Order: sequence, then structure tokens, then C-alpha cells
Amino acid sequence: MKILINGEPRAVASAWQGETLLACLRDHLGLMGTKFGCGVGLCGACTVLLDGTATRSCLIKVADLGTSAITTIEGIAAADRLHPLQQAWLDERVPQCGYCQSGQIMSALSLLRHCPLPSDAQIDAALAGNLCRCGTQQRIRLAVRRAAGQLGEP
Amino acid sequence: MKRRHFLGAGLAVSFLGACSRLPVIPDRPAPDPRAAQSWIRYARGRYTLFVPRVEMGQNIATGLLQIACDELGIAPALLDVRLPSTRDIDTVKGTVGSDSMREFALPLAQACATLRDALAAGRHAGLLEARPIPMEQLRAFGPTRGTPVPPVHGREIVCGAPLYAADVCKPGMLFGRVLRAPASPELRSTLKKMREAAARADPALVAIVRGAQLQQGLSEGVGIVARTPGALDRIAATLAPEWSVDGSFEQAAVEGAIDIDARLRRGRLRHLISDDRIGDNAQWDIDLRLDIPSAAHAAIEPRAAVADWSPSAATLTMWVGSQDAFYQRDVVARRLGLAPELVLVHPCRVGGGFGGKTLSTVELEAAVLAHAVGATVKVQWTREQEFCFGFHRPPSSHRIRVRLKDGRVDQWWHAFASSHILFTNAALPAWMQRFTDLVGDAGVARGADMPYQVDARRIEFDLVRLPLLTGPWRGLGAGPNCLAVEMAFDAAARQSGTDALAFRLRHIRDPRLARVLRQAGVRSGWGMQPPHRAGYVTGRGVACGIYKAASYAAVVAEVTVDLASGAVRVTQLWCCHDCGMVINPDLVRAQCEGNLVWGLGMVLVEALGAAGGRIGASSFADSPIPRIDDVPPMQIDLIESAEAPSGAGETAMVAAGGAIANALAAATGLRAARLPVRRADVLRALAQAGRA
Repeated sequence: MKILINGEPRAVASAWQGETLLACLRDHLGLMGTKFGCGVGLCGACTVLLDGTATRSCLIKVADLGTSAITTIEGIAAADRLHPLQQAWLDERVPQCGYCQSGQIMSALSLLRHCPLPSDAQIDAALAGNLCRCGTQQRIRLAVRRAAGQLGEP
Repeated sequence: MKRRHFLGAGLAVSFLGACSRLPVIPDRPAPDPRAAQSWIRYARGRYTLFVPRVEMGQNIATGLLQIACDELGIAPALLDVRLPSTRDIDTVKGTVGSDSMREFALPLAQACATLRDALAAGRHAGLLEARPIPMEQLRAFGPTRGTPVPPVHGREIVCGAPLYAADVCKPGMLFGRVLRAPASPELRSTLKKMREAAARADPALVAIVRGAQLQQGLSEGVGIVARTPGALDRIAATLAPEWSVDGSFEQAAVEGAIDIDARLRRGRLRHLISDDRIGDNAQWDIDLRLDIPSAAHAAIEPRAAVADWSPSAATLTMWVGSQDAFYQRDVVARRLGLAPELVLVHPCRVGGGFGGKTLSTVELEAAVLAHAVGATVKVQWTREQEFCFGFHRPPSSHRIRVRLKDGRVDQWWHAFASSHILFTNAALPAWMQRFTDLVGDAGVARGADMPYQVDARRIEFDLVRLPLLTGPWRGLGAGPNCLAVEMAFDAAARQSGTDALAFRLRHIRDPRLARVLRQAGVRSGWGMQPPHRAGYVTGRGVACGIYKAASYAAVVAEVTVDLASGAVRVTQLWCCHDCGMVINPDLVRAQCEGNLVWGLGMVLVEALGAAGGRIGASSFADSPIPRIDDVPPMQIDLIESAEAPSGAGETAMVAAGGAIANALAAATGLRAARLPVRRADVLRALAQAGRA
């Protein structure tokens, strides 16, 4: 069985096909950027894009993916340049412990695809399911707005 | 967590070595220039900084990188930053207490200056003896400090590169979990039966591991090791262990045990912080009760560890997300009967610590399982295990009585009861903890010795051993104690008809505290009425305090309350902060922001109750933490100071919750008696004030 991750088909061994997408990404395919936080879709640390929409990878089984295209945090930078969201996260010095941040960035990416110039209220609504315990929420808001401005430039 | 002053170093060694059931006391050497020699190295034009602190989001690695670059006079690109293993550097104390800048910046700068001078003198090899150069002669603390440094691990974090303990992946690695009775580890629990044959039929099962080494607290553990992480859930369900648990308890029993009024009816409390004579019988102007529940650390990274046991080499290698790698080494070595030098511990970046990752739990589990199967085993706790088997902030119950005279607080009586923090029951057996009751628990007392000058003060507390595991949580006792103090002081200001900020200043002698308080007032435009919105009431509150006699914070909060629903929103927070000399302003601001969000959580969001003999919560749905839509804009002001750097990791805990609770009181009249604030209590207060 193969699944499409960051534009590449990746083979999944049979022992891992009954696993969650999160476990498969991390411990079978070695993509460690997507994190385990709660296992029941309540913290957002495991957020990936499934056909462009933010999805909790702890809640999907590999066997149920079908032909969906998966994007993880490892797949959003260009070869030589960070994605504007990643750069904005560094420019605003968002991360404290950093553990939740890949999920935050993936949810923000999904937001900007559907809503290129979000208000603070729209950012809050889109990211309310991504918990951060360190208290980086204010900087996350600033980083999303900064990236949105850059993405909006011609 | 200075436990040595209780046992004494010599006594600890001889007496603990004799019996494996006694807890390991963490090693706490003071960092000095000699220790710092092992932190900085030079070879062939490049430098390596072995960061002697655990990196858990305070970004101390970035701060110390800046110190090293400033002192060495080099660009950050010339320096490699490494999180050292237990073999790379001398033993250092655990990363607790917001002490890293205060205690480690100076010796690191001294070691760097020694290295710089040696290189300038043409010496390029050998071991240098770091010189105890005074701070005022070091560049890292001089006017030219502040080399711009990129955040350590910043790029790895935003690109999803492996950094944390659970990101360690080894060929042939297995996955483990230790099953326990769904009960507090303070209740004795043992396995009655399990369906072992059925579980063994699962092809993903590698081993079922039993033995006393898996016991934690009074909880027996049954280990399972499997080929994939998801198989652990399936195998646990098939195995269906049944447990025998001695006893049970509910939340009412926990609340009853610490009920401060019940304790005061029995007489004086056991531990005295301040014992001035106060008149017991006359009327009180302020008489407040405040009950603060237990709360979780709720780091987004559940505890995780990877252990690799090599039977041929008889060595154990571990990757941990712990606040104290050396302590993990010593505990694991003791429990497995290995010499400490045969255990190598790599500290990984920690996905949030907050005081919670200070004991050996998942690390021991991973070590025992790896040792049993002779392989590499990864264990990461589920969120339910985090709630059920982790330790938490103890609940506390406060009574504060105030007598006013001539527009000032004349007599102050703060009585409270809580459970252990430093001498935690999560680490000490009951009999040993009883010893500690003779000396009190400085963690529980923290912040209760309030900063205001009054004529007479009685401050006393009881320590109650609860059936729940409790221990250090950001700020230790300072969060709850300062919240209670600030709410009562605010009520006293209102009662005396004086502005809350001016009333505080009247009682403050410490100029640094007065300065942050005045500055917070200026920045927030204190005294201005917040704008009015139909259907809502708004209010502003202020609070201030001192953390560990070294760092200062004042916070102003503005809240809006929906008259129809009673919902409370914090709409703006201002914080003025003084932690002495600021090494890296952005990192200090980040810590202030974190503390403000924690204060918001304490007052409006967080609670952890007991149910059925355990912590009742098993997910974030049962025990929420603040979300992005709860967090208002925050403005942080840092006081530039020539004082030696102190700490920022927990300071604003002294004022964040108080300012929010006082803003709520200003808006609604509600002096919350229990936290977190419930909408029903807000609506009742509004109705009493004739505003609903």
C-alpha cells in the first residue's frame, strides 16, 4: 500500500496499515514534525493537511486514507526557502517549547488557503483547537497576520 | 527544590545507598567557574557550547548562546550549541526555580572570558581553569552586550525536525506502555487477573513485563511491549487487566481535608510564616474565603522517554524529556541495580516542563521495559496517563482577614491549607514525608509572605497529605498565595474607599516594587474608565508582587462581562516586569506572556477535580486550558536595571491572576470564593448589584 505524502508516494508496510496516520508518519516513515499530544483530536499538535484542509492525524487510520494527498510540516518549505508562515514564525519569535507549533502552522496554512487575509477573530476561530501551554497565542496571531501580508503581495 | 538542607548531603549518601526503596535525592551542586569549564570548548576555529540547563521553552539555550557570543566576541555562526549528555559535562542541578540566568550566566561568562584570553595569548589546547572574574569586568554584562542570536532550534521547530524525546527513532525500536489501575498512585492497587493468553495471540505483542521495578507509588504496573504504537491500545484492550484498589475518595473528601475554616476551628495552624499578635475577637473589615482547585501542568508534550539496553555491553542509553537528566540517570541506575556510569542520559528539548517533568516516571518505565526485552523501547504517556499518574498543583483553601485603621491595613491574618510541593508525595513515601512536616514546605509557603507593610501580620498554614499526587507547578505556592493576597488587598482598598493602586503604594517600601506598579499604571492609563458597551460591564484590576525576593511584576487587567450570560472575557493585559539586568529582552517578554496566560487560566479556566479515587479528568475536554480566543492583547514593559539578573520564568505569576480577579470584582462586585470563576457566580453577583 502507498500513501501520498508531501507529493511523494510512500510505501506503508502491512503492520502499519492499521495504525493512525500520526503513528505511521512518525514511527514508520520517520516524519517527526507531526506531534502526539492527546490522541483524541482535542489539542491540534498532530495537525496535517488532507487535500489542503487541516485534519487531526491522530483520528485517521492509514487504511482509510484512500487517494488523499497529505501535507506535513516537513513538506511546506521550498527547496531553498522557508514557507512564509515558517519565516513569520521565526520573525515573530513565536516558539517557546515549540512542541505544538508544527500543528499551529499547519492549521494556519489551512486558514490562509481558505481565507487569505484573516481578521484576528478569524485567526482565533481557526486556531482555537490548537492548544499552546507556553502562552505563545499573541505571537501566533502576529505571525499569521505577517505571513498573510506577505502571501498577499504580488 | 532544595531537599539537601533537610537530609544533609553526607547523610543522604550513606543512608540512601543502603536501601533501594528510598527515594533518590537530586544532586544540587552550585554552578561555579570550575563546573563551567566543561560547558565551553574550542577546537580548530570553532566553539561548542554544552548548555548546562534543560531546554524546555524558556529558551535558555538562546540566552546562554548570547552570553557566550558576547563574552567571546564571536558571531553565533562560529558556535555549535549542544544539549550535553550526562557524560559531556559535570553534574549540574535540575532546571527548576527560574534560576538559570541568575546562577549560570556568570560562571559561563567567566569560562568564556578565560577561554578568550587564552586564545588571545596564543594558547590553543589544554584544559583551562576558569577565573572568577567579577561581573562588572565581563562583556556579557556590559553596555556592548546583546549580540543578535538566532533562536536555538528555531528553524528545526518550524520545519518539524526531530528534537524531542519521542522523536528519537532507532532501527528495530519497540513501543511500550505500563498499564496500571485507573486510580491515584496514592491508593494501593494490584493486579487481580488479565487475559494473558488472548493478548499473546496478537502478533504485534513482543512481551508482557511484570515486576516490582514497575511499581510507582502504590500502583502496580504491568508492562506491554509491541511492534507498533497503535498495537499497544489493542493489546491493552485484549489483556483487559482487572485491578484490586484499596479505598477510594471523591472531590468532597479532598475539599474537606483542606477546608481552612474547619482547620481554624481546631486552633492554630502548624506552620507559622509570621506570628505578630493580632486581636482575634473584634470585627474584621475584610473576611474572605478563597478555594483554589488542583491544576495540571498540561504540557502539550506528554512525558516520553526512549531507552536502549545493550545486554552485551551492559549499558543503558536513554533519551529523556526531563528537567533533570542527572537525576534520571541516578534513579534509573538505582532501580535497575546498575552503576551510574553505565547509564547514559541524553536530555532532549522538552515540550513544556512547568515543574512537572522533575520526577522519574516514564523514564523508569522505558528503562525497565528496555532492560527486560534487551532492545530499544519508546514510551510516551497517553494524555489520560498524564492526568491520572502525573502530579499536579495542590489545591489550597485560604481565609484572609483584614482590619483597617486610618486608611491603611492595620492587621492582616492569612491562614491557608494545601498539600506538599517540594516534599511531594509523588516522590516521598508517607513516613518520610511526615519527617518533612517538622520543617514545613517552602514551596507551599512561597508568596504568602506578602510584600506590604502592615502593623501586624499573622500568616500560617497547614500541610495536608492528600490522596492525590501533588508537586511543583509554575511558581509553586506563589500562584495561589499571591492570588489570595492580592484579592484581599484589593478588597481592603475598596473598603477604605481608596484607589487600588494608590492604596498598594501606601503599603510598599521596596522601591523596585513601587516602580513596576507605578509603571504598569502609567502604561495602562490606570484611572481611565474602559469604554462602555450596551449589554456588558467592564472593569479594571491591578496586582503586584515579588517572586523569590528577587524579581518584581505588576499587572493591570481589563475584563468585559456579558450581562446576559455571565461570560467573562479578558480584553487587555499590561505587565511591568523587573528581573534585574535583562540579558535578552525578547525572551523575558515571552516568559511574561506565558505567565499572564497561566494567570488567566487559574482564574477563569482550569480545574482538576477528583472522582472515583483518581483525578477525574482524562482529556482536555474534561480539564481545559486557555485557548487562543481566550488570550487578549498583552503589553509587556521591562525595567532596565543594573541589578544582577534574577529570573523571569515564574515572576508574573505573582500578579497575573490577581489583576484579572480584581478586574472582575471591579466590573461585577464578585469576589470569587472558588476558582475557576463560574458564570452562575457572576450572574448572582450581578443580580445582587442590581445590574443583571
